[in-house]
Amino acid sequence: MMDQAEVGAAAEEEACRVLRAEGYLIVARNWRTRFGEIDIVARDGEVLVFVEVKARSSSGYGGAEGAVGRAKQRRIIAAAKAFLAASRCELAARFDVVAVEGNDVRLLRDAFQVDDVWPSS
Amino acid sequence: MFGHLLSGVVVGVEAKLIEVQCDVGGGLPSFQIVGLPDKEVSESRERIRSAIRNCGLTFPPGRITANLAPADLRKQGVGFDLPIALSILMASGQIGVPASRLLIVGELGLNGDVRSGRGILALALEASRNKLDGMMVPADNAAEGDLVPALCVYPIQSLYEAIAVLQGVWPPFVRDVSVTAAGEMTRRPVEHDLSEVRGQAAAKRALEIAAAGGHNLLLIGPPGAGKSMLARCMPELLPPLSFDEALDVTRIYSVAGLLSADEVLVRRRPFRAPHHTISYAGMVGGGHGIPGPGEITLAHRGVLFLDEMPEFDRRVLETLRQPLEDQSVTLARAGVSVRYPASFTLVGAMNPCPCGHLGDESHSCTCAVQDIRRYRRHISGPLLDRIDLFVDVPRLAPEELMDTPLGESTDTVRERVARARDRQWERADVAGTSSNARLGPQEMRVHCRLDAEGSQLLRRAITRFGLSGRGHARVLRVARTIADLVGSGDIGAAHLAEALRYRSASLLRDS
Repeated sequence: MMDQAEVGAAAEEEACRVLRAEGYLIVARNWRTRFGEIDIVARDGEVLVFVEVKARSSSGYGGAEGAVGRAKQRRIIAAAKAFLAASRCELAARFDVVAVEGNDVRLLRDAFQVDDVWPSS
Repeated sequence: MFGHLLSGVVVGVEAKLIEVQCDVGGGLPSFQIVGLPDKEVSESRERIRSAIRNCGLTFPPGRITANLAPADLRKQGVGFDLPIALSILMASGQIGVPASRLLIVGELGLNGDVRSGRGILALALEASRNKLDGMMVPADNAAEGDLVPALCVYPIQSLYEAIAVLQGVWPPFVRDVSVTAAGEMTRRPVEHDLSEVRGQAAAKRALEIAAAGGHNLLLIGPPGAGKSMLARCMPELLPPLSFDEALDVTRIYSVAGLLSADEVLVRRRPFRAPHHTISYAGMVGGGHGIPGPGEITLAHRGVLFLDEMPEFDRRVLETLRQPLEDQSVTLARAGVSVRYPASFTLVGAMNPCPCGHLGDESHSCTCAVQDIRRYRRHISGPLLDRIDLFVDVPRLAPEELMDTPLGESTDTVRERVARARDRQWERADVAGTSSNARLGPQEMRVHCRLDAEGSQLLRRAITRFGLSGRGHARVLRVARTIADLVGSGDIGAAHLAEALRYRSASLLRDS
């Protein structure tokens, strides 16, 4: 039986494999700031993609996609802003979610947007 | 990357062109609409995003800003969905820059369908005025856009079709000549014929005069005497709407969302009969955001009928005073000021007293004097002053009800009315005002001259009825119309005498 961290690491490994197969170029992994963390930063052609990997052992509780809630989105966005500032990257950006449930891996492109989280901004 | 297109917004019954600009740039994915959008415009983001995706196109990543210029004009309505979606596709390079300048409006469904909207005619007129190459119109409203001569109309059912039009691979609408040709303004059978109203010769005559000169009329009589029936005959006594007038009325009904699917062009003169519980906003116009048209505007170029006039809220009645003078109403709200046309003929009906039987020989009136006074006070002096014709509509005696032969038909009377109107038009070429009810003091000096006998009669009447300056002018205008009905160039003493009769109804005598 793996512990939580091991489950997560294995899921991220699996996610990277799937992303590469989709033609993504992995730029960074586990990029951390004090506001939050981004699991994978990748490039999909001319688009910079911030990927959140979500692992679940079963599809109960709404599945892995459902687990990226508002608060989590906010942390990812904050970290993504920091990444863009630090890297001086001017590409268009996108947020994807990779849902890992056992052997089932799903890539959800453009999973959320900034204005979903802060509708007025 | 940048894309821009033309759209429009309806303010009142006028449309204004709006430039929709869109920028897609780098950065975190977000989608903003700026340029003073109201809530429903901001909400369009979700519709646009879904529609683009569900059409198999890409909603571009990165930071998207859509701007609606000029930025100081409030944007209301859902018609911006389609132009914003198209400008996003342009800015992200998914469709090319169009060769023609089109006005684009349409609400999008989540699946990319284009839904019908309001105010299409006003927008189409504005597109035509600005000499644009054409207009994209929701397919359900295509006939409305098609009313505007010399405007190329592209009916659109979906985002796909809109793209096809922009790329120049979709043909414009084939014009339905039967709708647009002014010559096709065919007459329809009369719905309320004057001959159906038994007796009441005096009231019918007053109706004819009111129709001929555009005079406001008040019918006073007991319940069941036929006041409402008479009033309903009024719109069809008026000359039929010309094509331009019909467009004018249709534009109002289009903005109000009241056009029926089977009658795109409003051909009947409006007859509006609001219930006496109507609110202030319902009468003159109002509502949230940009105020919408009220009953007085919906009655434009037609008849506003107020049955049971003293039962109306006094404040509502008083709001009629200014539109009756100006033939339009200006509604000023925070941030917007809208002017609506309101050129209507007012026809009021009331009972002589609260129980309705004052002056009736077969029923006795049970009202106290102060009750009668209170009842009549609901219609203020200034409002009464704007009414040209007062006429009693008495209860019919049984033999009148049964034996009176059918009177003149609406068609016969309308012909006389039309001739009288023609005479007014001919004069208007010189003087400028087209209906006698609107004659100004200068025009009256020219056209309402009296002979010696007439002058003497008028002098006596001023003393006897205590006519005010305004009342005296109203009598002269009515006399002018009566003279026009018989084709007389001068106002004779007989014409004046008849005009004076409409100042001597029971209402004015007893109170």
